[in-house]
Amino acid sequence: MKQSFVFTGSGGQGIMSAGITLAHTAIDMGKHATYLPEYGPEQRGGSAKCTVVINDDVIVSPLPRMCDNLIVMNEVALAKFIDDVKPGGVLLINSSRIKGKIERDDVRLIAAPVDDIALQLGDGRVANIILLGILIGATGIVAKETLIESLKDKFKDKKPQVLEMNIKALDAGIEIGESSH
Amino acid sequence: MGEKRFMKGNEAIAEAAVRGGCRFFAGYPITPQNEIPEYLSWRLPEVGGAYVQGESEIASVNMVYGASAMGTRAMTSSSGPGISLKAEGISYLAAAMLPALIVNISRGGPGLGSIQPAQSDYLQATKALGHGGFHAMVFAPNSAQEAVDLVYDAWEYAERDRNPVLVLMDGCLGNIMEEVELPPMKALSDEDLPEWSLTRRNGRDYQGTITPIYTEPILESINAMAGETYKAWEEEDVKVEEFLLDDAEYVVVAYGIASRVSKEAILRLREEGYKVGMIRPITLFPFPKQSIRNLDYSRVKGIIDVEMTIPAQMRDDIALQVLERCPIHEYGRSGGCLLDDDGVYEAILEIVTGGNDNG
Repeated sequence: MKQSFVFTGSGGQGIMSAGITLAHTAIDMGKHATYLPEYGPEQRGGSAKCTVVINDDVIVSPLPRMCDNLIVMNEVALAKFIDDVKPGGVLLINSSRIKGKIERDDVRLIAAPVDDIALQLGDGRVANIILLGILIGATGIVAKETLIESLKDKFKDKKPQVLEMNIKALDAGIEIGESSH
Repeated sequence: MGEKRFMKGNEAIAEAAVRGGCRFFAGYPITPQNEIPEYLSWRLPEVGGAYVQGESEIASVNMVYGASAMGTRAMTSSSGPGISLKAEGISYLAAAMLPALIVNISRGGPGLGSIQPAQSDYLQATKALGHGGFHAMVFAPNSAQEAVDLVYDAWEYAERDRNPVLVLMDGCLGNIMEEVELPPMKALSDEDLPEWSLTRRNGRDYQGTITPIYTEPILESINAMAGETYKAWEEEDVKVEEFLLDDAEYVVVAYGIASRVSKEAILRLREEGYKVGMIRPITLFPFPKQSIRNLDYSRVKGIIDVEMTIPAQMRDDIALQVLERCPIHEYGRSGGCLLDDDGVYEAILEIVTGGNDNG
């Protein structure tokens, strides 16, 4: 089945990294995937967006207008992209930074304070991995074990603590995702 | 089985170039093609090649001229504004009859345009890549895999014709990551150096001058020879994908990213019973004239030119083959705004249901 994911936020929040990791994991599971980054000229703080399409068959178009899953890291991105998730789709928001009312009642809303959880775990940088964990727990799009293999590869040149922290973040996310059913 | 990797289109082009024999790159940074020089900056030294970040686009293309004159498989890459700067050098390559690979990962235009993707350089690529009335063969892949396949063999064409080859791919495909299967490294030895190259190695008789400056009668004969080469391309080298044309009443003509999005829309329209097909030029020059000319116009009610640029730039090339036998419609997005599945679907639907008959 074809599933599309749009990750949005600002530069530095791990938007691109989350998208690549998801797409890479899908490929490792024998599925097809495309990943398209879109960003402005800023290195930090500008708008960041990436689109991931996962399918059992070859992906014809990598440019869906509406996505099945929208992941939003901040209020600016929410205002810009809230209409881009299909009715019945998943809207996953970072409630550490998004405080206002969500003007969509036709989607499956999952709100989690991923920045706060990341800080509680001990590293604010793993907020994006918590989001990936929530997606896995909520949709089952990829297998946790395959994603961990992908993380192992990604952090193979880092200290082992980095991988441990990311796996802890993934587990925390999966728990939230599973309890959202 | 080749080696499979999950790569950006830009990186896939860079790796395919190395495997196709590229041993020299010079370029100057510009979005959205920066992954090509970034990749080659570490990859070329691994295989004994040379990478130069030039002080400008103009310097870079002229370094490619020099490397190519020595028989080295050489390339440069840029995006629209940078290709304009390289235009003089590309024209000189054509004049000196030097092979080279030029890659344009295109973005919005004109002028500085937008750093976001667009297909706004079709006319530049196919009509006037520089002054003086020369052409380059123009490849327009629509996936990372097709980019690999075309780039891998680009120098076979460039050296056969002693003429630069252009790969034109929009910034979307340059930045999308997809799975690709990589071909093996071409094993090229000194014996593969072109006969005409300015090599100074032992045992070779060839010494000489490569020049873009000729006397008038010689220049005329070189112009005529180029004309013969372009004619031969039309007969032998056209690459095109024809999709669901047998019963098509409407035919989309689209290349690159526009063809991917259009195909998705066509599959959806087919499910709903609309007879839509597609002609996808893979070579933009030579243009697949026969595919469009030979459509059955007693059945085809309209051609739809879909491009990620406004106004559509392929339209005149299409019109020369349609010869007013049916209307030509166009749909596009431009300036760095991307085409999307629903947008193309809705545009085609409106045309096939008669909502838009003003061409």
